[in-house]
Amino acid sequence: MAHENIKGCIILKDLLYSVKDNTWIKVDGDIVTIGMTDIAQGLAGPILHAKTKKPGTIRKKGRPIATVESGKWVGPVKSPVTGEIIEVNENLVSDAQLINRSPYKDGWVVKMKATNLGAEMSEMTTGDAAVEAYRQKIEQDGIECSHIDDSDTYD
Amino acid sequence: MEEDFEGKKILVIQTHGVETPTRTYSPLFYAMAAAAMEIEVMVWFTMNGTNQLKKGEAEKVQLVKDSNVNLKTMLEMALDSDVELRVCQQSLELWDMKVEDLIDGVEIMGATSIIELALNYDHVMYF
Repeated sequence: MAHENIKGCIILKDLLYSVKDNTWIKVDGDIVTIGMTDIAQGLAGPILHAKTKKPGTIRKKGRPIATVESGKWVGPVKSPVTGEIIEVNENLVSDAQLINRSPYKDGWVVKMKATNLGAEMSEMTTGDAAVEAYRQKIEQDGIECSHIDDSDTYD
Repeated sequence: MEEDFEGKKILVIQTHGVETPTRTYSPLFYAMAAAAMEIEVMVWFTMNGTNQLKKGEAEKVQLVKDSNVNLKTMLEMALDSDVELRVCQQSLELWDMKVEDLIDGVEIMGATSIIELALNYDHVMYF
């Protein structure tokens, strides 16, 4: 999978990113899978709890779809799109560190049926533009990503 | 899974300051958790709690050994999370503090305001 590694932080080029909120989406029709980026999990550190909103919850872009807490940080996962939560990652209830180990695969957070996807996708960043945006953010904020044991690897 | 708490309001009252580091961390952490849950949250510093808001003091309080998180970064993270930080006007005098001594982002309120707030919030957490 095409990716870039910047100071240990992995950015997959085929995802769309809300760089400001450190979230990614993967689009399948009007169904959107949403997760936290590798940068977000690195900043949070080992995650202790992740609580998602319930399926059926309507969210506008920018509102929380979950709250995540580690030993040193607690905060929202803000939805990058508007729509209805149709599925949540139940595995996070018993193993919130899935987000740390596999932020782009098994650690996805929710799936939403998006209602304003065209306009909202155009506000997101992908491919080389996303890599460049994160490069700037990582250098500006002095970010380095660390990973816990058994994290996904990218060659 | 998480309920929807939008519109709820919590007031956190912090009376502990830099002389008791282990009592400074949790109130801010709970406030940030509430903010993440879309709850309107205010932290009200009074008594000894006021002294952590003096410029140059909070950064001296290391909460977790070998961590880059100190009390100043916690206060900044709280502000970034839209937690409102307010300080008791009368308690400033206890610590010989003036308005210009306060870290950025903190507003001053008087005693009657806090009573009014307490009556109008859904819940008050007192530390």
